[in-house]
Amino acid sequence: MSRPQAPRSLQARLLALLLALLCAVWLVTALMTWIDARHELDELLDSHLAQAAALLVVQQTRAEDDDVADVPMLHKYAPKVAFQVFHEGQLVMRSPNVDPTPLATINAGFSTVQRDDGSTWRVFATRGAADDVQVYVAEQDDSRSAILQAVLRSVLLPPLFALPLLALLIWWAVRRELKPLSQLSRQLKDRDGRQAQALAPLPLDQLPMEIHPVVEALNGLFQRLDQMLSAEQRFTADAAHELRTPIAAIRAQAQVAQGAGSDHAQRERALQATLAGCDRASRLVDQLLTLARLEANPGGSAAADAGRPVDLRAVAQRTAAELAPAALARQQDLALDAASAALVPGPELLIGVLLRNLLDNALRYSPTGAQITMQIDSEAGHTVLSVEDSGAGLSEPEMARLGERFYRVAGQAQPGSGLGWSIVRRIAQATGAQLQLSRSERLGGLAVTVRWPTPLKP
Amino acid sequence: MRILLAEDDPLLGDGLRAGLRQLGFQVDWVQDGLAAERELSSGDYAAAVLDLGLPLKDGLAVLRDLRQRKIATPILVLTARDAVPDRIRGLDLGADDYVVKPVDLHELGARLRSLVRRAHGQLQDALRWGPVLLEPAARQVSLQGAAVPLSTREFDLLQVLMLNAGRVLSREQLEQQLYSWGHEVESNAIEVHIHHLRRKLQPELIQTLRGVGYTVPRQAAPA
Repeated sequence: MSRPQAPRSLQARLLALLLALLCAVWLVTALMTWIDARHELDELLDSHLAQAAALLVVQQTRAEDDDVADVPMLHKYAPKVAFQVFHEGQLVMRSPNVDPTPLATINAGFSTVQRDDGSTWRVFATRGAADDVQVYVAEQDDSRSAILQAVLRSVLLPPLFALPLLALLIWWAVRRELKPLSQLSRQLKDRDGRQAQALAPLPLDQLPMEIHPVVEALNGLFQRLDQMLSAEQRFTADAAHELRTPIAAIRAQAQVAQGAGSDHAQRERALQATLAGCDRASRLVDQLLTLARLEANPGGSAAADAGRPVDLRAVAQRTAAELAPAALARQQDLALDAASAALVPGPELLIGVLLRNLLDNALRYSPTGAQITMQIDSEAGHTVLSVEDSGAGLSEPEMARLGERFYRVAGQAQPGSGLGWSIVRRIAQATGAQLQLSRSERLGGLAVTVRWPTPLKP
Repeated sequence: MRILLAEDDPLLGDGLRAGLRQLGFQVDWVQDGLAAERELSSGDYAAAVLDLGLPLKDGLAVLRDLRQRKIATPILVLTARDAVPDRIRGLDLGADDYVVKPVDLHELGARLRSLVRRAHGQLQDALRWGPVLLEPAARQVSLQGAAVPLSTREFDLLQVLMLNAGRVLSREQLEQQLYSWGHEVESNAIEVHIHHLRRKLQPELIQTLRGVGYTVPRQAAPA
């Protein structure tokens, strides 16, 4: 059974890593010190041996003394050093801690010998210039080790005491420097999701530079979330608001019908108005749902179909045929002007919704007897649709505000929610089209131009 | 009672106008904020129904500006904005009542009557002058307990006079209160209605101040 991995603490890891590295560096330093010290010590003491040997040779050459002399013990290191002086094969002088047997087998240079009592000695042998004097100077190896150990102790011991103290200091420093992080996490944890400032940006000024990118990314995320949430809230509020008015109208008209008494004309009129209110409410619901789906998923439910080129002319013919009865009822002249099939990017469903909204707007907001033309052209890699009418058109500021959700041009006799344009805009965006509003040169009313990049033939 | 209705939605405005007329109100209907402000500034309305989401000028702005200019016409805000802060702001800006759509027509009528009554310092819906009792909700008038049939105009005229008991109202003021737009008012219409009222009820109920106007005297109750 593998337990879930515990979350890694940056602080603990930093502390452990720093301490381990520190120990390693110290150990390596100590090792190098020890190697270096031993080398230097060997050289120094060897040179001392050689020097002492040279002195003995010189002394023996000068003072032709045949005495076997025991040298007094003068220093605590004395038992650890020994010498023998032979003259013409005869031992002439020796230290008391050696027997007359020559200390080494070689007669010149350094050697290390094991003596009978088990001690190890460093021996330097040399001869006088006339080859009649043989001198051995020896030093017990133990003394070298003792010195080395003392050196090593002095290198290793202080850090050994310092290490816990350093660990404590490093722990404190790491903790101190990571404080902004723990503060940040506490700040985030303490945020109450229901409060308004739950998505407020985090302040950057108190934080170290390294955390800035993280906090900036967080703040960006907060901002996007906030926008999404407020868009969602606005949409719900707007939708409820927009539905209340038609429902209020239906209720009022139904009550008028109820209270009409013997006035049949008034009852009939109120009932007609009630039905019109119902139609409007259901149209509004359709539009709201379309818009909600577009916002949630711009590709639409027909995502499989997305990108597949659609024949704009065929869709336009179908839409015009659907809306023709409404146009005829108001003696409006509806015409489609398309020379050939013209391809636009799909999905077909969205293109249909866009066309229906454009045409519906043109018919709805143009007066009785008006002229409405749909024209489809192909030009330099683009498919262009324009819907023009002979209505009153719109002023510049009105054009700028059109497409704001629920914006309605003032003084409209026609019922509407102002959602149609939001839908047209969203679909244009989703299918990669450019949307342009202007005054129609031919008809004098509003001209809407939609430009799609022409997709390649399938 | 003459009411101004400010509502931009054609279907709802039409329904409210027809419904309030059925309830006996005279209704003038405007469809934008500027027209509402203009009419309330100049016209003599017993009360107004004001939508907030009006084109040209927002309903709340209309309300604020009217109150700043000390125009005290009772205003009922009828809106789709139901959030508590919206209600508070509406009431603080000088709305007398705040109703969220959709509303029952009878309730709307009752609320309007209540607003008008309170504006005239009345505690009860029914208006009494000695033996004469006027019940606005039922649109009924009785003399010593016996119902007296009155025409719509006669009823409205009596209601206005009784609401303003003790005040003298000129003929023009009465006409403005009684007739909504599109009604041709004959020059002697008020005199004729007053005459009928005196005959059907009590002669001393309505007193004429020649060249000034008419009044129902306060507390002139010959029990």
